[in-house]
Amino acid sequence: MTTTEGKRATYKQRYETDDDGLRFQSLTYTGNFVGLEPVTDGIKGDKMLKERARSKVLEKVSKDDVLNPQFSIDELNDLNNYLAWNIWDVLVMRATEGVSGMIPRQEYEILAFMHEFYRWPEILRMTTDEVGAQGILDIGASARREIGTKVNSVHDWCIGAVGFGMGRCGLLALEAIGPDDYVAESNEILKFMQRVLWGKRQDGYILNSQDRYRCQIHEQDFLDQLVGQIETLEPGSPKHGSFTQFNAATELLAFLHHYDNRLGLGDTGPYELPDGNLLILRDLFVNEEIYHWSDVSEDAGLPYSYTLAMIIDPEKMSLEEIRVNDISTTFTRPKNYIEAIIGGAVFARQKWDTPMGEVYPIAIDDLGDHLPRVQQATLKLYTKTSKMCRRDLIWNGQYVYYVDMILPHLRKAGTYEKACRDYDLWEIDQRVSNYYYDITKRGFAQETVPSKIFSGAGYLPFSDKANLRSSKGRWL
Amino acid sequence: MADVLAEGYNVFDTGKSPSGTVKYLESPADVIGLIQSGKLGEHILLVQGGTTTFLAPALSMGAIGVITMSGAPESHLGILSREFQTPCVMTAYLTTSDSRYVVGSTDPSHFEEIAKVLDGRKVRLDCTDNEVGRIVADD
Repeated sequence: MTTTEGKRATYKQRYETDDDGLRFQSLTYTGNFVGLEPVTDGIKGDKMLKERARSKVLEKVSKDDVLNPQFSIDELNDLNNYLAWNIWDVLVMRATEGVSGMIPRQEYEILAFMHEFYRWPEILRMTTDEVGAQGILDIGASARREIGTKVNSVHDWCIGAVGFGMGRCGLLALEAIGPDDYVAESNEILKFMQRVLWGKRQDGYILNSQDRYRCQIHEQDFLDQLVGQIETLEPGSPKHGSFTQFNAATELLAFLHHYDNRLGLGDTGPYELPDGNLLILRDLFVNEEIYHWSDVSEDAGLPYSYTLAMIIDPEKMSLEEIRVNDISTTFTRPKNYIEAIIGGAVFARQKWDTPMGEVYPIAIDDLGDHLPRVQQATLKLYTKTSKMCRRDLIWNGQYVYYVDMILPHLRKAGTYEKACRDYDLWEIDQRVSNYYYDITKRGFAQETVPSKIFSGAGYLPFSDKANLRSSKGRWL
Repeated sequence: MADVLAEGYNVFDTGKSPSGTVKYLESPADVIGLIQSGKLGEHILLVQGGTTTFLAPALSMGAIGVITMSGAPESHLGILSREFQTPCVMTAYLTTSDSRYVVGSTDPSHFEEIAKVLDGRKVRLDCTDNEVGRIVADD
């Protein structure tokens, strides 16, 4: 530790009703609230959005509310505003990263956003028809007794935040749609998201930001089994180094495997343990079989996922705030939590549907067998990716977003194969295919996307004239 | 007082203060070449973007320090630098220049100027401050 020696942890104050949390960034958010006090990041921002809502959809909602087949226009607009703020909250600083030099991410992202908005509604409707509304809640609830599952914060959030929010925002910016188009489809997407998330959390909220950035979803008896496998780690010891090095190298491969996006990573927690320490569970997905480039992971003998259980001593780092945000990523103040890790365990899930009873622990002393294979897969995938042409990189990345974000839910529902076969999931819609040539014109991907989508400026509300049954009636 | 050549976002506060010759990496071939040279540990790596994939093998194989010309601690490269405990200064700008990075509308000359000044210089990263990371002359 460098700057916090001797200070007590104060992070629990963040959970007191009147506390507004810390500011993680100096920027503020306006969105559709022009003329009102700018909205901050974090806990205070969540409170401001709830205060400005016209409906009760941002408060704790009941199961009956969730099973209700559609949202009202006010509820749609409240969700639109909240998701726009939430997107800004977690992504406005990330989105300053500029060009990759490797993968044209802004380009594939915007194509995927728009593709999702057009194509997902009928696939999600089909899935709801197949398993029923309760079945969608049950898909969310499955995450409460699993690790190595992509039914997680980032995937569940993406259904609404990306498929509806960013997709609609991108199409509005491209002037391909108007604010009152596709109301019914918007409802379809957001209902699916709400049901999955509500079923997973079961506390009435749907997003981590609504609960002061906590994602405490796992059942206690399930957690107890994992905690029982924890090994003590002395900071600075070789064992601590092995664990943290493995965490970093595997997380890196998970990013690369998913084309430099967050879908390879899934944190839950923080769970407070009886001794006052905090547990973070981190799923890292390094061998997703639907990708043709997963051959490098297969060759290296890597499982579908590794899960790391990390014990953080909040006093050791004088923890002031910890956020597990809605894209499954942990941020703390102070920023460096690695040196405060005092215990850990590693688990592997061989395939996406391997039963929990067959998930196996890996002793930290045995990580020396896994780390070189993770590094080998990373180098091979990097070399392979560096030889791909721009078009392949963009469409591969587009597929990672457009397919992977709903893949876990379709798999659990048993509708993935049907979506591939009967709904041409892996085809590119002709409209989106044509947009490929538009997104690099006038800086659309490089400038409009950051300024409209990540800043929250382009999430136009549905008007008072919007009709819940409306799709798009005319192309003029 | 050492000469501060550039400043930017400090990804995480650390007492580590790596020193090395700045190596500007422009393409994946540069990254692969550096790793194959066996000299990765001698260099502070300078890159334009704040994304993870471009530097993936270098991070995995033990890069000692990273400077980027865009991005923030919340960017993927920031997250991974923290996990690897590799000191990292992001969106670095020259202390002798008024030019600053602006998302989506930064002239290429901004990046070229930084690369021209830093590439080949022996520097040390000072990442002790919570917010500001400094690139200090060490030659």
